[in-house]
Amino acid sequence: MGDFKLTTVEEFEAATNRLLETGAKVGADAWQIRVKNQTPHCKFGEQGICCRICAMGPCRITPKAPKGICGCDAHGIVGRNYLKFTAGGAATHSDHGREICHTLYAADPNGAYKVKDPDKLIRIAKEWGIETENKDIYDLAHEVAETALLEYGKPFGTQRWIKRAPEHTQKLWKDAEIEPRAIDREVACALHMSHMGCSSKPEALVRQSLRTGLCDGWGGSMCGTEFSDVLFGTPKPIDTEANLGVMNADNVNIVVHGHDPSLSEMICEYADDPELIAYAKSVGAKGITVSGVCCTSNEVAMRRGIPMAGNFLQQENVVLTGACEAIVVDVQCIFPALGPLSKCFHTKFITTSPIAQMPDSEYIRFSVGTAAEKAKQIVKLACDNFQNRKPELVYIPDMKQKSTVGYSVEALVKVLDGVTNTQVDVTGTTKPLIECITSGVIRGAVAMVGCNNPKIRPDYAHIELMKKLIANDIVVVASGCAAQAAAKAGLMDKRAKDLCGAGLKRVCELADIPPVLHMGSCVDISRMMILVAELAKDSGLNISQLPVVGCAPEWMSEKAVSIGNYVVATGIDTFLGVDPYVAGSDQMAQWLTSGVRDWVEAAYTVETDIEKLVDLMIERIEEKRTAIGI
Amino acid sequence: MTLFDRVFGGNDAVYGLTEAAIDGAIAQYGADQAVSFPNTAYSLPCYYSVTGTKVTNLGELKEALGVVKTLMTREKRLNDAFMSGVATALCAEFIEVLKYLNGAEPYSEPCYGHLADAIIRELGVPLVTGDIPGVAVILGSAPTKEDAVALVKSYQAQGILVTLVGGVIDQCVEAGLNMGYAVRVVPLGKDVTSVIHVVSVALRAALIFGNVTPGDAGALMKYTFERVPAFVNAFKPLDDVIVACGAGAIALGFPVITNETENIFRVPKSLIVQEDVSKFNATSLEARDIKIKITKIDIPVAFASAFEGEIIRKGDMQVEFDGSRKDCFELVCTKELTEVEDHKFTLIGPDFDQMEVGSKQQIAYIVDVAGKNMQTDFEPVFERKFHSYINCVEGIMHTGQRDMIRVRISKATYEAGFRAKDLAEVLYANIKNEFEAVVDKCAVTIVTDAEECSKLRHELAVPAYDRRDERLVSLTDESVPVYYSCIMCQAFSPSHVCVVTPERLGLCGAVSWLDAKATNELDPQGPCQVITKERVVDENLGRYEDVDEAVAKFSQGALEHVTLYSIMEDPMTSCGCFECICGIEPFSNGVIITNREYAGMTPLGMTFPELASMTGGGVQTPGFMGHGKHFIASKKFMKAEGGIERIVWMPKDLKEQVAERLNKTAQELYGIENFTDMVGDETIATDPETLLEFLTEKGHPALGLEPMM
Repeated sequence: MGDFKLTTVEEFEAATNRLLETGAKVGADAWQIRVKNQTPHCKFGEQGICCRICAMGPCRITPKAPKGICGCDAHGIVGRNYLKFTAGGAATHSDHGREICHTLYAADPNGAYKVKDPDKLIRIAKEWGIETENKDIYDLAHEVAETALLEYGKPFGTQRWIKRAPEHTQKLWKDAEIEPRAIDREVACALHMSHMGCSSKPEALVRQSLRTGLCDGWGGSMCGTEFSDVLFGTPKPIDTEANLGVMNADNVNIVVHGHDPSLSEMICEYADDPELIAYAKSVGAKGITVSGVCCTSNEVAMRRGIPMAGNFLQQENVVLTGACEAIVVDVQCIFPALGPLSKCFHTKFITTSPIAQMPDSEYIRFSVGTAAEKAKQIVKLACDNFQNRKPELVYIPDMKQKSTVGYSVEALVKVLDGVTNTQVDVTGTTKPLIECITSGVIRGAVAMVGCNNPKIRPDYAHIELMKKLIANDIVVVASGCAAQAAAKAGLMDKRAKDLCGAGLKRVCELADIPPVLHMGSCVDISRMMILVAELAKDSGLNISQLPVVGCAPEWMSEKAVSIGNYVVATGIDTFLGVDPYVAGSDQMAQWLTSGVRDWVEAAYTVETDIEKLVDLMIERIEEKRTAIGI
Repeated sequence: MTLFDRVFGGNDAVYGLTEAAIDGAIAQYGADQAVSFPNTAYSLPCYYSVTGTKVTNLGELKEALGVVKTLMTREKRLNDAFMSGVATALCAEFIEVLKYLNGAEPYSEPCYGHLADAIIRELGVPLVTGDIPGVAVILGSAPTKEDAVALVKSYQAQGILVTLVGGVIDQCVEAGLNMGYAVRVVPLGKDVTSVIHVVSVALRAALIFGNVTPGDAGALMKYTFERVPAFVNAFKPLDDVIVACGAGAIALGFPVITNETENIFRVPKSLIVQEDVSKFNATSLEARDIKIKITKIDIPVAFASAFEGEIIRKGDMQVEFDGSRKDCFELVCTKELTEVEDHKFTLIGPDFDQMEVGSKQQIAYIVDVAGKNMQTDFEPVFERKFHSYINCVEGIMHTGQRDMIRVRISKATYEAGFRAKDLAEVLYANIKNEFEAVVDKCAVTIVTDAEECSKLRHELAVPAYDRRDERLVSLTDESVPVYYSCIMCQAFSPSHVCVVTPERLGLCGAVSWLDAKATNELDPQGPCQVITKERVVDENLGRYEDVDEAVAKFSQGALEHVTLYSIMEDPMTSCGCFECICGIEPFSNGVIITNREYAGMTPLGMTFPELASMTGGGVQTPGFMGHGKHFIASKKFMKAEGGIERIVWMPKDLKEQVAERLNKTAQELYGIENFTDMVGDETIATDPETLLEFLTEKGHPALGLEPMM
């Protein structure tokens, strides 16, 4: 094992506390302070029983006032809120996907955006029945992009991607009437249903929630993932590092934050530009370091090995290092707090998207046509800002771990090919993984996803759950901020195999993988859907029979609820560590934790006690094994 | 039934049998009855390596069974299945050791049963060099005896050591297959429990070469997983007991390949179902990542290291070339590039088909080489490989070197069409293959004409040998500018480093200073690196700062100081594959030396395996040191403690082998004539008292030296 040791949550917290001291010196605000100010939270809001969808209210449900003015009960109110929450998430992911489609539509062999994975493009085109023979790859890219964009508003039919699901799953969706139609339609339909005076029946609201989720996971998110791969390359295993220690005090530090790789890819491109590196040196720096926060970080880590400075609740920390010349953001999960915070330091807070505009930021509008020039402008701006740094405020915690990331489904299949025996096995399938599972060497798999949430000690749930799972021979695939938590702790270092049970350890050694596999950003949970679909097809089992569960222990965003809906709807039991504002309705809770099982063979489990949550998952995995006699 | 259930079931069954067998033995012989395997210093090697406890009698064996029971946990995790597999293996070892009670010899031809420590030490070098690229364990009965023989032969042709357990042995016997350790086909025994004897080899290898502490099961399993290239071929039907044994094998990192399809689970790279037995070989090699050095040589018979130990008896012999009666020699000559036509073959004299069957003939083979980086210093290095090249041909035996060679060609090989050009091809292909970095062109001339042989021997070969000998004599530790490190064994013994000097060859006996030099020049990033000798600390001890730094670097910090000439102060470490070991004999102020081939007792009260178990694995044990035979006559042999005059005892055979050179050194250093007459051997004494009497009587110089401790 040598000198390998996980970084503990206590060490994370000690580093954060040290940074908060810097913050206190300059009078900075911080989420830790704001959480205190906001506590206790509104009980009605927490239980989902506050309704303000019309101007008659707001109405709040109490034992004395069990109905709103229109007569809607707690179940209808909770259900509508839940559906609106889902719609918000599905819209967000899908619109991100749409942006990527537009970028693909503008791809140009001489422009900033090129097709880096033409094979994948051709594969998708063939899947969609688009003629590929004798066609220029860029013509094909534009045609595929346009076809994808039409998925957002097509008047008839269902999402193209759902054909990737096993037939059994497709049949379940059809029978339950939750096959996702046009992406925008499902979002609009959800908002329509949850308008004043429409649905108040939990069953109908839950059904549309699943459907709206599916238009995300098997629609918009899948577009985001697949076409990002076509544009920027399909991830394959690559070594990188994680945690604040990746920032370099001698260099110009640019931190990319958000979700859409179109911006961050360009920033990375120009940070490598010899001309700009020379420029950085001319202002007294030794070079340029780009690191990332949140999912845009996951995107560039998976494809370029760009180090990950941190996850969601560390976004303020990067500024607090005093060594961040620019924090450049695109969309989603960006604290408006970064604006005022950056003013306490020399840091430039640069917003770039019309979708995410904030006060106290420098707005450099980014578009496909001007991407290269804007990226260059931003990098140069950061270099210029280097000399404004206040050395007395600079403190970068010396804390980072190595990680191997980049496990797209394609990369995983390649890894699995590596353990096949060409004398007996076929390659290009997930069968080796199935064999590991059916023989009991690996007990099952958990998809760990989601955010940080101050309601849970940050990263603690992610890391503790993963540690216990791998010790029990359960392989973990992770995405989003869960993946970054794992990377910061060291769980994506291949040496973490020594923390596994004998079975998973042996698999890690033979396949040369870490026990927690980084599958990408939050839109990339679509990768996990493709993976389970392949596992089901290759094993002849239904997805719901596989000893696989999903888990979001520290989730916080609307996107996470949308994800939860499509993961459950795909047949994967999903375990949440934070209640999705449904505690106020036993009927809604019943629908989500068991009723939906009749439609999609899976349901939610909500358990805020993290110790119990992991045991419940292990128990469920073993139940599934017993049920199929393995 | 899940895979784990099968493992647990098989384990329980074997445990029950073992318990009954031990109880039965205790009832019959009593708990104090001694138990042991012959020719090992490692007690019950598997149990000892896993637990660190030595078992000496039946009572302790019963206690040990209680420890085994604690491994048999039943959680549904691979660790439990692995440990139950290990427990099954340990039970098998207990059952096997009971067969040896009271000095019984339970195994007879062709079966070997327990294998001696000496065999493992011999295996060390060929395993690291890849001459033995792997170890196959074949278990059960093949579908037909033809399948069995074909499989065994396929491994043999690749140089893989094959061990056989169960029905396959009878199949091979029935088919008349030539078996035995010399041809690398070792039938262990017919009971499935006899498989433990090859497991025992793997685990002792970890202790001997890997310096794994007995009882450190984690390190043990890591060592076998990473460094012992073994695998199992198990023929159907597989019962639960075999499945449980298989779990033990997989735990150690050895994949199991089977043709069983009923009630079996597949595990990538570990448990592989291959229904086509003819593909077992390819499937197994791929599963264990074994690469076979491709030396596909265009000759009518097989070429593989498995044939290296093959003996050709007189009756099977077509023709013999005998350097003791006729003019024979082998020679490498360095030429200019323009002088050599690559791959040219010249025959001077009659071919083999014109020689009388069973006759003694003369032969000379001259290999001309040329290359930009060729140096005449490499000539003897290449030449010494001829022995191995020629021996690897199926049905050819080669002994000796230079003009003292003897080569026999079997009738079968002759009948297969083997002629002089094939012999030339073997030399050509191997030289080009192995020394491609320095040999650009190579041509072979074979001379069988009596007159020509005699002329060339005296005019070409002997002067060349003389020149080389002069050069060798001039090569002393003082005369050369640098030494070399050798870490060829690190694949096996991760913290051992040899420092090779002209007067101190590698302790395996296989790497001389010239070899190391050639290896370094052939592969500058390879296992032999230059060690400068500029910063002397103590000339007498052979202590250099440069050497210490190199040793620290190449042992990854495991060793800090090494002396070249002392066995008391920071002696050089051993990997475990040393030819000899010397150890301090306190009564006489001397040292005794014993060698691998000598199985008997020494005056230290320990056998070679027991002595060897104290060193090896890259550990420094002052007072004990592993070394090559050649080193015994070196003027640098424990020079710091006074040199060879400390030698008081050696096995008779070894003494005879080194006598001439040792006596010469004694004469030169101390003016003592016939020094070896003063040195004891097993015919004189195997206890210190009798030895001391003998030494006193002979006036052995060691008695007058200062005490070593």
